[in-house]
This record gives sequence, C-alpha cells and structure tokens, in this order.
Amino acid sequence: MSKKAWTVLGVVLLIAFAGFAFAAFRTSLTPYVSYREAQGGTRTVQVAGALEKGSTSYDESASALRFTLRDPQTGDTLRVRYEGVKPANFEDAISIVAIGRWSPGPAEFAAGKLLVKCPSKYQGTEVKSYS
Amino acid sequence: MSALSQLYLPGAIAVWCALAFALAALWGYVDLARGDESARGFARRAYAFFTLAVLASAFVLLVALARRDFRIDYVFQYSGLDLPWHYQLAAFWAGQKGSFLIWLFWGALIGVPLTRSIGRHEGPVMGIYVLAQLGLLFILVRENPFLMLDHAPADGQGLNPLLQDDWMVIHPPIMFIGYALSAVPFSFAMAALWKKDASDWAARAFPWALAGFLVLGTAILLGGYWAYATLGWGGYWGWDPVENASLIPWLFGTALVHGLYLERTRSRYRRANMVLAVLVFLSVLYGTFLTRSGVLADFSVHSFVDLGISGWLIGLMAFFGGLAALLLATRLRTVETRPNEDPALSRGTFLVLATIAILSCATVVTIGTSAPILTRFMENPGQVGPEFYNRVNLPIALLVAFLLAFVPFMTWRGEESARAVLRKALPGLAAGFLATCVGLGLGVTNPLHAIFLFLAVSALATNLQRVVRLARDRKLASAGGYLAHVGVGIILVGFMASSAYDESVKVTLEQGKPVSLGSHSLTFERFLPRDAHDKERAEVAVTRPDGKVWLAYPKIFVNDRTQQLMVHPAIRSGPLDDLYLSPLEYSPGSPGGFARLQLAKNESREIGDATVRFLGFNLQAEGNALVNMSAGKPVAIGAVLEVTRAGRTERVEPVYRFEQSGRTEFPPLSLTGGGRVAVGAINATAGAVELLFDGLGSTAAVPARLSLDVTRKPLVSLVWWGMYVIFAGGTLALVARARQLRKLDDLPPAGRAAA
Repeated sequence: MSKKAWTVLGVVLLIAFAGFAFAAFRTSLTPYVSYREAQGGTRTVQVAGALEKGSTSYDESASALRFTLRDPQTGDTLRVRYEGVKPANFEDAISIVAIGRWSPGPAEFAAGKLLVKCPSKYQGTEVKSYS
Repeated sequence: MSALSQLYLPGAIAVWCALAFALAALWGYVDLARGDESARGFARRAYAFFTLAVLASAFVLLVALARRDFRIDYVFQYSGLDLPWHYQLAAFWAGQKGSFLIWLFWGALIGVPLTRSIGRHEGPVMGIYVLAQLGLLFILVRENPFLMLDHAPADGQGLNPLLQDDWMVIHPPIMFIGYALSAVPFSFAMAALWKKDASDWAARAFPWALAGFLVLGTAILLGGYWAYATLGWGGYWGWDPVENASLIPWLFGTALVHGLYLERTRSRYRRANMVLAVLVFLSVLYGTFLTRSGVLADFSVHSFVDLGISGWLIGLMAFFGGLAALLLATRLRTVETRPNEDPALSRGTFLVLATIAILSCATVVTIGTSAPILTRFMENPGQVGPEFYNRVNLPIALLVAFLLAFVPFMTWRGEESARAVLRKALPGLAAGFLATCVGLGLGVTNPLHAIFLFLAVSALATNLQRVVRLARDRKLASAGGYLAHVGVGIILVGFMASSAYDESVKVTLEQGKPVSLGSHSLTFERFLPRDAHDKERAEVAVTRPDGKVWLAYPKIFVNDRTQQLMVHPAIRSGPLDDLYLSPLEYSPGSPGGFARLQLAKNESREIGDATVRFLGFNLQAEGNALVNMSAGKPVAIGAVLEVTRAGRTERVEPVYRFEQSGRTEFPPLSLTGGGRVAVGAINATAGAVELLFDGLGSTAAVPARLSLDVTRKPLVSLVWWGMYVIFAGGTLALVARARQLRKLDDLPPAGRAAA
C-alpha cells in the first residue's frame, strides 16, 4: 500500500472512532431531570433534592439504603434505593444527587451513585460505586 | 483586596514581595532575552529573591499552623487543636488557598535547577516560566491565605475527616510538583518560538517532560491507591472529574514524552511537540478550572465549590492559550523540521500511531469530563459515567497493546519485512497465546477480552525480551522505554482483570454465625472498641479454602468532631486476587438478658407472647427438700409453672438448688417455642417465686449484625506493579536524557552554536 493509502485509512479509522465515541457519549450521558421525568423513564438520569428527615432506612435482607428526596422547589418527593455504603455525613447533607434509573417493579429510583453535599466548609465528599 | 488590618502581615508581605520580585525577574529576563547581557545578574537575583519570598510565605503559613494560630482564617478553617502534627501539616494544602501556595512553592523551587539547565536560552525560557508563576501569584494575592479573623477562636474547625489520612500528607504535594513541572516544557516551546531557535529545545525539555510524567504519574498512583485502600470507594479509579483533571495532563505529557523521543532520534515532529507542550500546560490550567471554579458543583462534590476565582482561571487560560496560539500561528512555520521519509512499516509509524492513540484517550477523557459544560446549553445538562470511559478506551487500549507488542522489533528504516518482525516477536506472541489459554481456562468469556489479554501479555513479553537483551549487552541505561512498556503490558492485564472480572456480593453477618461465600467462610466475631492504636472496627474471620484464617478488620466509626460515619475497608492482597471487605452497616444489637417476674401462688402474668401461671412449689423435686435441709444436704425445690403460648399449654418445672455453704444453682429450662426460664429466688414467707426469663418477647437478645460488601478483585496487584515498572523505566530514561543534557552544556560555545 502506498503512503497515501495508509493516511486515508488512518483518517477513516479516526473518523470511525470519533463517531463511536460520540455515540457512546450520547448513550451514557446522564441528564438532570425532574422527579416526574425520572419516574417511568428508562434511561439513566440524575436527580437532586434534599433528604427528607427520618426517611432513611437500611434493609439488611436487600443490602439497600432507602430514603426519600424532596425537591425544594416543587415539593415533589422521590423514593430512592441505593445499594452501597452509606456516605459519610449522609444525614447532614443539604443536597443529595442520585444517579440511576427508575425501577418500575418496586416503584422507586434505583441509584448507582450518590453525591452528597454538606452545609459546612467541607467542600463535599462523595461516594462512588464502581460497577 | 482586603484592608491591611485584616491581613496577617508577615505572610501577606511575603506574598507581595514575591509579586514584586517576580515582576522584576520578568523584566530582567525579558531584557536578557532581547540581548541585554547585563540584565542577567539582575534577573537572577530578582528570581532568587522571588523564591525566597515564596519560601517565606510558605514558612509563615507552616508556622501559623504549627502554632495553631486560629486568628488566621485559613488556619481556623482547616486545622484544630486535636489534630496530630502530620494532619496539621496536611491542612496546608487542604483548602484552595493553601493548595495554590504549595503549587507556587514548587514552581519557584523548580526554577532554581531550571536556570542551570537551559544554557543560552535562559532569558526567554525563564521569562515565560516567571510569567506562569505570576499567574499563580495573582490568584494567591486575590485568594490570600493570610486573612485574619477579628477575634481569635479557641479552636479551629478541624480537618475534614475524610482527609485525615496519611495519604493526604503526601499525595497532594506530589500532585502539585507535577502541575508545577508542566510549565517547564511549555516555557521551552514558547521560548523556542519567540526566539525562533528550536535547535536544541527537545534535548533540553526532554528530561523535564519525563520528570513531569513521572511525578504526576506517581501522584495519580498514590491517589488511586488512597481511594482503593482507605477511602473504600471500591476501586482505584472512578473517572471522577477530580481524578480526570490530573489524568488529562498526564496523558498529554505521555504523548509529549513519545513525541520528544521521536524528535530526538529522527529530528521530526518538532512542530507537533510544541503543540503538545502547550496542551500539557493548558490542560493543567483547564483541570484546575474544572475542579476549582464550581462549574462541576452538581456533578462531583469532590470538587471545590466556587470561591470566586473562576474568572481568574478563565483569564489565565485565555492569556496563556492566547499567547500560545499567537506564537504558534505566527512562528510555527519558521520551525525547521524534517519531512517523514520513513516507510509505512517502521518504528516511526508505530510511535506516531501510539502517540495518536494516547492523544485520542486524552481527548476522550477531556470531552467526557467536560460533558456538564458541553451540555450546559441543552435542555437537561448531564454528565457521563464510568461506562463511557471504559467503552471508549477499550479500542484505544487494544491498539496500544498491539503496537507495543511489535515496536521492540521495528527499525526506523523499516528494512525488515513484516515476516522478519513477526519471527522475532514469536517468543513474546507465544507467551501471549499461553496466557490467553490460561485466561480462557480461568473464565475469560468475552472474545475482545481474550484478544486484549493476548496483545497485552505479548507486549509485556516482547518488551521484556528486549530489556533482557539490552541488559546482557550492558546497555540497560537505554532500556528505559522498553522497561516502561513492560509495565504498560502488566497494567493493561491488571486493568482488564480487576475491572471486568470482579465478583461482588453483599452479605449480612450475624455475630458468631459463619456464612459461606463461594469457597470462603466469613464469621463476624466481634466489634472492637476504639483503642490507642485504632478506631472502632469489626473483627471478621475469613476462612479460606485451605483452612487458613485471615482476621479482617473493616472499620466503621464516627468522627468525634463532625459526627460523620466513616468506613474503611479491609483488604487481603494476594498475588492472584484481592479480597475486599467494605462495611455497609453495623447494628450493635441488644444483649437481651433476663426479665424478672415475681409470681405468688396461682398468679399468672404475661411475658412476651406467653402467659405464665405459678402453680406452687414442688418440695419433692430431688428427694424430700425438708429432710435434706435438716440433714445439711443440698436442697432442690421445683417451681411448677403452666406456660400458655399460642393456644398451647405446657407444664414445666425449673429447679432451684442450694447448699448450706450458700452455693446456689438454678439451671434454666428451655421452653417449647423458644426462650428459657429459671427460678431466680424463692420467697418462702410470701410463698412467691421469682422467675428469670430469657429470650421471650422483648427480652430476646438481638445479635449484633454487620453488613459487608465482599468483592474479589482478580489481579489488582498488577495495577500497582505495572505502575512501579513504568516508573522504573521512566526513571532510567530520565537519567539517560539528563546525562545527554550535561553533554550538551559541556560543549564549547562554538560547538554549542553548531549543535
């Protein structure tokens, strides 16, 4: 093959890769949505809200943390299930971001990752889940 | 700017002096760059004073922290009386202001050896370098760490408990050395364009680029190990924006190192390397902007909240980006470079492809991390998760592994036929094939993973073959690149095995009850209180298939100051896999204990779910009690009880024994349906009995329970070992390139001009 042919091949491969990367970007983008949009949705999204006091419970049999988020603006609530380590300072969080998708069976939001924001100067901590 | 009275003057004056001396040094070095030789002494002195002033300001902050001088806002915010000295030191870089100071601290220090390694380029290189330091200084003047409170609090607010970790003491400062080093190749590139003299820029910038690559890589490794071993995030890498912010400059730096290698050996890609040097520096600024400006506040709380410096950071990026764009646009064409005359199947092509692969990776990570900004103007801004990075990087890693497997046998001129290269690589490919067979036997199912394993192990083996050959020929000094590539092969295998083949299960263990998990058996033995050496922790006995027991101590404790619940995992590292125990929840249970109930004859009471009636004493329980008593023998008295439970009545007779000596015995009797009863005491005068119940109703003991996430991570140790080997290779290369630099400076002036 001539050098030109190699170059053309390289450019074609790069463009193909760019297309592949763009497609992957679009499918794995998790947009911020309202609770109403999250309910019944099928894609992975993220929701934010304040923790409803006293709504937290840990279900040992399912190894899941359950809690309710309240949207400070609309007042809507969302029941969230999170399977993972309860984040440090979870109870004092001023705002919690949950990333996951709606699980229609138990009718709750199944979060794979939580981001917890604290009121103090502690500029945030996070809990991740590696799957 | 704050009023004077609000500033801690020793520190603030040092910062202002640093600013003044940096401006003087800039002036001097620009003069020197313009050909005024007499400016050299002035510029050097100004730079020395600038360094001293920066050291002084860092020293002032350090002393304030050591003295726990809580009048200073920064000391108040990030430290406290209860902190041991090493966390007090870590408080230096726990906050935004202090981290800019430590960055500048390293930047100023690096300038000292830099001046000695640049020969005739001192003026322009140091001019640009000082400019980069000035950018940080402006931020520091704005974000002054020496602000004072109008009163002196008795105690500080303490350090974020998540940061109270030994890794916090070493990880951030190393990271900032890496950031500070990124300005060096940038300065070389800009100076070369400015003075239109690029003949030796690659030789001079190469060791610095390698040093930056090594130091930043070390910092990333430490961060990954920190996340894995103590923070209990479950993995060493989560593709979080903060992690990516350090990875992106490292990837660009890796591309630069390869480009400089090509330039040094083939005198090619000079222009591309200048662009790369710019990208390394700008990506450090961009990463800082992403994590410090608050733009990602809703996407990673790991990042710092907006402290009002986003404008400054955008300004810095615009300034240096604009300067670089201007110089590149106007001068890049003047840079002499050699056209590519190598054939397609040659070492050069492979290196270029590898560099493109690394750049693609850097670009993909940059775009992924910037997703919240890119989608900001869409209806719902969002971010991308780890699956994006994993999916997109897989083909890149495949390509890199393929190139690495063959590059040791490729020549520059491409004299060898493809068949000859294949023949030379055969032993390595055979090793790869063997490893793939083993992998398939151990459960690798995805065909892509099998190909990946084959290529990665082949790359490892062919490069190792080359290292061994060079070592035998006593040319180990030039084996740095190959050795680093052995490490890349190792790390690729580790990445794949630990991320695609980990097995995780969540269990809840009742204290004392073994639970089997696959071939292992786990028993939650006890919960240990805090002691002088350690925090509260659970003791879990893990019995392995060979019968050996590992006592794991996952920690779960509450920070005294903030009342945050903290967890640390317990990890058993082995050559083949890591067993990772991460605590999820601990409930102490309740010890239960006896419930006391006093009943007169024929009286009945409810306890738990049972109704108990006392029918009377049985003096004939074990021989006649009255006879035995007068004979001085042990006496036994039974209490006849009727226990009704769920509609069924049962008659039981617990016994109370006593001896003349005062010894008593009251063996408990089991009840049908659970629980036990015993006679605690006999009140002969009232004809009443005191019964002890255990395990009935609310008195039932609740065993302590520990919920764990148990993960088996295969070959995770290869990730660390791969990094060590990469660093060993990088260090070898750094030594070799630094030596060449010395040769460059030893040349007489005439020879230097020719070089």
